[in-house]
Amino acid sequence: MKINYSFDEKRKFLAKLEELVKSGIAREKINVFTPYPVHEAEELLKIKNSPLRFFTLFGALSGLLFGFFFTIWTSLDWPLIRGGKPIVSIPAYIIVAFELTILFGGVISFIGFLLLSGLPSAGKIAAPEDYGNQFVIHIENEGEK
Amino acid sequence: MKPKDMKEPEYNQRLEQDILQALKNPSPFYWVAVFTCASFFAIGLLTWLYQMLKGMGVAGINNPVGWGVYITDFVFWVGIAHSGTLISAVLFLFRAKFRNVFNRSAEAMTVFAVMTAGLYPLIHLGRSWFFYWLFPYPNQRQLWVNFQSPLIWDVFAVSTYFTISAIFWYVGMVPDVAIVRRYASGIGKKIYSILSLGWSGSKRQWRHYTRLYIFLAAFATPLVISVHSVVSWDFAMSIIPGWHTTIFAPYFVAGAIFSGTAMVLTLVIPMMKIFRLERYITVDHFDKIAKVLLFTSLIVTYSYLVEFSLAFYGGHKFEESHFLYRLLGDYRYLYWTMLFCNSLFPLTLFIRRLRRSIAFLFIMSLFVNVGMWLERFVIIVSALAKDFDPYNWGIYIPRWPEVAITLGSFGMFFMFFLIFTKVLPVLAITEIKEEAVE
Repeated sequence: MKINYSFDEKRKFLAKLEELVKSGIAREKINVFTPYPVHEAEELLKIKNSPLRFFTLFGALSGLLFGFFFTIWTSLDWPLIRGGKPIVSIPAYIIVAFELTILFGGVISFIGFLLLSGLPSAGKIAAPEDYGNQFVIHIENEGEK
Repeated sequence: MKPKDMKEPEYNQRLEQDILQALKNPSPFYWVAVFTCASFFAIGLLTWLYQMLKGMGVAGINNPVGWGVYITDFVFWVGIAHSGTLISAVLFLFRAKFRNVFNRSAEAMTVFAVMTAGLYPLIHLGRSWFFYWLFPYPNQRQLWVNFQSPLIWDVFAVSTYFTISAIFWYVGMVPDVAIVRRYASGIGKKIYSILSLGWSGSKRQWRHYTRLYIFLAAFATPLVISVHSVVSWDFAMSIIPGWHTTIFAPYFVAGAIFSGTAMVLTLVIPMMKIFRLERYITVDHFDKIAKVLLFTSLIVTYSYLVEFSLAFYGGHKFEESHFLYRLLGDYRYLYWTMLFCNSLFPLTLFIRRLRRSIAFLFIMSLFVNVGMWLERFVIIVSALAKDFDPYNWGIYIPRWPEVAITLGSFGMFFMFFLIFTKVLPVLAITEIKEEAVE
């Protein structure tokens, strides 16, 4: 990472970023570091929607299925009639399945986030890469435009 | 808020300095406060130990009133937790920017309140060391838990709530921990480096991070509604007059957010004064949170009316006599105090000048805390004290172990919160920076 532009204001940073993108540098080669999320920069760099949503969907669905499977299976495993209700009482199990949908969905989303963003990164924990309040632009392999 | 003539870099610098200042050099006053809270907590723990050694007989709960202060405390603390999620998740989804100054402490409050609440079912169990029987796990007798029981729903709801709130709190803090890491030194720097997971603010990290935050907020919103609904069903699924009513779920959720918002004020006002954060948490912010308080107070008042109307419209003799008992019976003074604290006194918040008076809001928040605790006490105890059979009527008066354990739980909660203010950034620095340039 050779070229290193650094700004202390979002406005100036965005102006430079736009200029760089227009000058024909491949968008994938531009990496930016910002103190807070900058949506304009994401648009300029045409960053696609995060695939995190698939983790979330998978987590939520697996929680839902597991919730129903587990409650129904345990009820059938040792059938006990409670309060004259059916052995498999779906309305009561909806609540357990609902909570597990959220639990699995949330936890798997978090794990997905860690995997996708490469965190925790042992190298960066040992030697933090920190630009403070600077908006930084890195360009990979300058000269290969 | 950012003054107009101030440039972004200067503002960001000052913001970090101001907030990190709160993490430095605890004053003697701080140590006294922590020590006091820790002492209360220790007394609570010792009393719990005493109760375990002597048996549940040392508490005032009896037959017919088997649920007393412990269950009241449980519902109270779960309720306190709720407005943390409301402020951090629901207001985030609604893009209510004023949440940015409250969300970090509100989320911390949520996590600590759920931890406190989670102790009460164990305290109430009697044989607390068998608490794990509540979880479904393969055991020797090949028995599973009863998934039709609201108490088991509670286990799932509260443990999910704790997990998701803790993740949400932590995720929101990662970029801020990276800021603290920059200023820390020695062993502190190592700890903050690990906690920040190696955060650098690259485009890749922000891309997934912003998504994750939205998803967690979207999960937390229905979760918060479900958790207090499930807590209310602990009561409403029974046939006891005064409990067996369909309004319980929304009524409890509104009450939870009402009490939690009051607790946010109780915690944030002294925090703001002590750490001199007036520049960031302004009167306008308090004005808005006071409106939330007023709004939820109105919903709660409406629920009180509906409860009575349903009882009298329903023509159910036991239901009618229960509500007359609640209004005029043994616990009437508590009920009237509750009405004053939750329904009448908050009406003063219609006056703009009072909404903008920090001192007044602080006093109001204390009244609401008391009122909401009493609400749970009155609902739980008065319903059990007089149910169907006159032979089965009785009175419940808490004994000292219940008082000591309740004070202990307050000690625990405030102790954790005090520790939080000294080890983690109390305001969401990154979000305030982002908001300032918009």
